[in-house]
Amino acid sequence: MDNTFLSVKDLEVIYTSGKKIVRAVNGVSFSLQRGETLALVGETGAGKTSIAKAIMRILPNPPGKIVGGVVELEGENLLEKSEAEMLEIRGERIAMIFQDPMTALNPLMTVGDQIVEGLRLHNDLTFAEAKKRAEEMLEQVGIPAVRFVEYPFEFSGGMRQRVVIAMALACNPDLLLADEPTTALDVTIQAQVLNLIKSLRQKYGTSMILISHDLGVVAQTCDSVAIVYAGQIMEYGTKRHVFKNPCHPYTRGLFNSLPSMNSDSDRLKPIEGTLPDPTNLPDGCPFHPRCPRATQECKIGVIEPVKVEPGHICRCIHAGAEKSVEDSKRIHSGEV
Amino acid sequence: MAPLIEVKNLKKFFKVPAGTLYAVDNVSFTINKGETVGVVGESGCGKSTLGRTIIRLLDATDGQILLEGDDITHVTGKKLKAVREKMQIIFQDPYSSLNPRQRIITTVKEPLARSGRFPRSVINEETERLMDMVGIDARLRQSYPHELDGGRRQRVGIARALALNPQFVVCDEPVSSLDVSIQAQVLNLLMDLQEQMGVAYMFVTHDLSVVRHISDSICVMYLGQIVEKSPAKELFSMPLHPYTKALLSAIPSTNIDEVMQQVELKGELTSPINPKPGCRFAPRCPYAREECEQPQELQEIAPDHFAACWRVKEIG
Repeated sequence: MDNTFLSVKDLEVIYTSGKKIVRAVNGVSFSLQRGETLALVGETGAGKTSIAKAIMRILPNPPGKIVGGVVELEGENLLEKSEAEMLEIRGERIAMIFQDPMTALNPLMTVGDQIVEGLRLHNDLTFAEAKKRAEEMLEQVGIPAVRFVEYPFEFSGGMRQRVVIAMALACNPDLLLADEPTTALDVTIQAQVLNLIKSLRQKYGTSMILISHDLGVVAQTCDSVAIVYAGQIMEYGTKRHVFKNPCHPYTRGLFNSLPSMNSDSDRLKPIEGTLPDPTNLPDGCPFHPRCPRATQECKIGVIEPVKVEPGHICRCIHAGAEKSVEDSKRIHSGEV
Repeated sequence: MAPLIEVKNLKKFFKVPAGTLYAVDNVSFTINKGETVGVVGESGCGKSTLGRTIIRLLDATDGQILLEGDDITHVTGKKLKAVREKMQIIFQDPYSSLNPRQRIITTVKEPLARSGRFPRSVINEETERLMDMVGIDARLRQSYPHELDGGRRQRVGIARALALNPQFVVCDEPVSSLDVSIQAQVLNLLMDLQEQMGVAYMFVTHDLSVVRHISDSICVMYLGQIVEKSPAKELFSMPLHPYTKALLSAIPSTNIDEVMQQVELKGELTSPINPKPGCRFAPRCPYAREECEQPQELQEIAPDHFAACWRVKEIG
């Protein structure tokens, strides 16, 4: 076996809402080496957070349910663990940083006590020992230890996110799930928080799955990238593969939608249309209604991932074989 | 000719239990017809308050707002209503800025009906035209806001703001809550409408790449004050103020070969309540000296390019 640390295979998550079924995650597979950072990139409702919550087994059930797949952490399938076993794993081996630091903290507990709580749950520590460790963690994330006794409302947004990071890293987890850790923060604070996560990860050798919609943040933090759309990974590869040679029309569309910091083009090139209704995903490729290169074959069956180059996978039948734009125009206008 | 909007030494203070909050402190700038002025800054810097004060949603504490040369700072009653037809706002959050119990067509129709200028037949025709203009399909026009996605809701907000053909629209983070693919659609729409109608925008945002794309000139705000004012492209090629430099360097680049040369700022925004005189950025500024405790004025460093920092030439 290679030294795969986390492996997710054919993960499927659904949410039931009345009689409707929302297919949030549809057969997602990826793997992660020790110390590696993988980015899950996608727009609202793409299923990124559902993937992370499924790995942690913290999907609210009902309505959420894992209906298929395997999540292996060092060879053990987490989906077969009992809740009691998961309690051991959560916080100690896998920790999560939530998007919104305002709601991720308990407003009625001092931040110090919240860090101590997790520490004592997983380690055989006295309060004094745990407090010492919690104070060290606060200092590590740049918060003076004297603020141990303060409540979340006494901290600013950036500071609260640091507290959440301190809490997540206190038990020295092997895997960190960071769900949009900087989306709620201003850019200068974002830069501080990203640097902090980076240096702490290097120190402890933590692997990380970073969920983000910000391609800039991804470019500066991750090793490999998975582009998620409608619960499927559309493109997956190293950062260099995806950023230098984006193959999927959706990935290209995302890059083209960004206002450039260097060019002077007057108009942006948005992806036309809107995200598909998750209760009623189109057949075939879920992106085909918005895709400039869609052909008849895209509208039927299951589109299988294609290997574009070693380690670079793209779920598009047109990847690799470059077809001219004229072709797809003719097809759209019904000439073919 | 007088500029469309002229803001002179505008101040907006709020009384809070801890003292006075200096949300907008001595801000001056002008906006010409059909032009876009971007206002950037981090949360809490007063950029939204500035926009809302200019269009008279908030009353200024001091200073002047001129619309085509007329002082509108204190107008009331019928005059205020006339002014409001010329100045509109698009809000950040298309989820909370539309009435959830009103069909979107009614929302767009409302300003036309309220103006009292049009007979009913014209109102209906005009409403349909506005919906066409912002690209809302006929089949969706009877929907309620919750039935639409964020991008379409924001289009409704835009149609409502432009209904009475205003000359000036404050766009308060209009694309911040939208996904990138939708964000690009809405930005293109705003730019197309500007071309067609000649409306001027004040574009408030924290997203620097968006503001670079859409603006003719940009004001950078820090704790209620403008610290730098520049033509849009030049701000990025030649930032002058240490805060602007830090802000630009903090944007993560999508170019993976580019090593970020970050000016990391220490600490966070200081409190806008009872600030000390002098440069408000000084506590975080890597170039701060004792002289920074003196108040800083905007000075013209290059043509149309102003910065409020006495060391600006030195630190180049």
